Amino acid sequence: MLRAAGRARCGVTTSSEKETLARGTEIRGKWNGKVYRLERLLGVGSNGQVYLASAGPRVHCAMKIGHEAAELQGEVNILASLDHSEKGRQPFLLDVDDAVIDGRKIPFYVMRYVPGVPLKAYLKEHGSHWMGVIGYRLLERLSHLHEAGWVFGDIKSDNILVGEYGRVELVDYGGASAIGRSVRQFTEIYDRGYWSAGSRVADPAYDLFAVGLLWLHALDGKRLVQLTRTLIPQNRHPRELMKLVKSNPKLLPVEGWIEKALTGQFASTRESTREWREAVRISQRPKPVDDRVPGWMAGLLGAAIVLSTTLAAVWLLD
Amino acid sequence: MMKQILLITDGGSNVGESPVTAAAQAYAEGITVNVAGVVDEGTIGEYGATEIADIARAGGGISQIVTSRQLSKTVQMMTRQTVAGTIRQAVNQELRQLFGVNDVGSLPPPKRGEVVKVMEEMEETMSLSVALLIDASASMKPKLHAVEEAIRDLTLSLQARTGRSQVSVFHFPGDSQYSYCVMDAGWHSNASNLGSLFGKIRMRGTTPTGPALLQVVDYIRETCGKIGKIELMDEPHASGGGSSEVRSDNVV
Repeated sequence: MLRAAGRARCGVTTSSEKETLARGTEIRGKWNGKVYRLERLLGVGSNGQVYLASAGPRVHCAMKIGHEAAELQGEVNILASLDHSEKGRQPFLLDVDDAVIDGRKIPFYVMRYVPGVPLKAYLKEHGSHWMGVIGYRLLERLSHLHEAGWVFGDIKSDNILVGEYGRVELVDYGGASAIGRSVRQFTEIYDRGYWSAGSRVADPAYDLFAVGLLWLHALDGKRLVQLTRTLIPQNRHPRELMKLVKSNPKLLPVEGWIEKALTGQFASTRESTREWREAVRISQRPKPVDDRVPGWMAGLLGAAIVLSTTLAAVWLLD
Repeated sequence: MMKQILLITDGGSNVGESPVTAAAQAYAEGITVNVAGVVDEGTIGEYGATEIADIARAGGGISQIVTSRQLSKTVQMMTRQTVAGTIRQAVNQELRQLFGVNDVGSLPPPKRGEVVKVMEEMEETMSLSVALLIDASASMKPKLHAVEEAIRDLTLSLQARTGRSQVSVFHFPGDSQYSYCVMDAGWHSNASNLGSLFGKIRMRGTTPTGPALLQVVDYIRETCGKIGKIELMDEPHASGGGSSEVRSDNVV
């Protein structure tokens, strides 16, 4: 839920904005009159704080408290628009209101609470063999989003929460951009522009590029960070990333997929989802028996045949 | 059209008019001045830090002191934030005059949503000119690579906007005693046309920040026509694009 780096966000925060609100603080909406109790802080970003809140016994929700009404409203608009364009799922946005705390007016909005842990933490705990399922679910989610006319933009581990059995939910839709607009929020090392692989115009391929990097970062983070430190800007290019991908056995099954994502070769997000599934599925199939005869064994067999025919010939000719 | 000057420096000025006055003059002429202070080793010194904050305050902009590693991100963030801030100010003023409410936040949330939609539309489509003014005094030399990288990165981001955007680059001090500042690139809208920026700079010791700022204000006046307060109806949406010269690329 943390806000990302690239966005037009204020780095100038006053001390009062950095203070967190105590557990049990009551937030009463000025316009809609709903009452919430804060449970705990979930995350802090440059434009606000996200709390786990309760709207009644066992009714949990996530509440974002902002500094600036207009800025927060921008996020609310995106969430409302997503709820509108993606009918048939539970709405994200539950309430938008203002409250007064210690004489200070604060704008806030309330979202559905998504339990889960960031992608990297999940893989660490449960193992990288969950990559197939998580990757598939992530691409499914992005397919819906893209078809509704939006690009997520700021794809990174912290914004991808994984729940039970690899269930995926994206958080921080505040950084989403309408397709065709400029990407409003991104993180440098996931950014297509940073790697000289395309523009910062929001299109589905922008997200797919970031997904490619996401897997590299999740499974080979150290080498990726090292690369960004040593590479001079003129040499930032997908081929440098592919060198890392190709030398990591964990990424072998999706090597071809990542290459296509980094070079913008998928025709659609649906196609990329299909190909992800295939790539992972192929790697899961048992290898055909023939393929499993090691070279040295075949060589030995050949040598034995040659030896025995020679011996037979010698014996016959004798 | 919105106009900004972004000053990138690493310390205090020491020649000519006060940069704070120069920034105040720029702001009076409708140009917002932002300042990025770059420090890699040690500190910028109290004098430098105060001056940086003062210049930005006088210029109606924001300032931040960062390392060269963070420069690209900072430059981009400050530019965007200033665009949003300028629009917010203009909109709040309209709201005060037309409806007697203080600001966008005083409207009920549903109305607020409508207004913010319009504001974001303007952020994306309003034309924007950013003049970058680079301190090239001796101590900045090791940081110029990072500066060049930041300029490219900014241009790349601006290129993605729907609205017309352009960037120009200046450095100071100039080569002779009588020139305070030199233009490295006139108005550009495409990162790949910028070329090598600071290839042949001769580093000199003085830091005439104020005079250089004023020279950039002159340039903006001359090239961008009459400068006034930003008008809410800037120009029709740039999509479709009649003039081909400096439109943002919308294709990948």
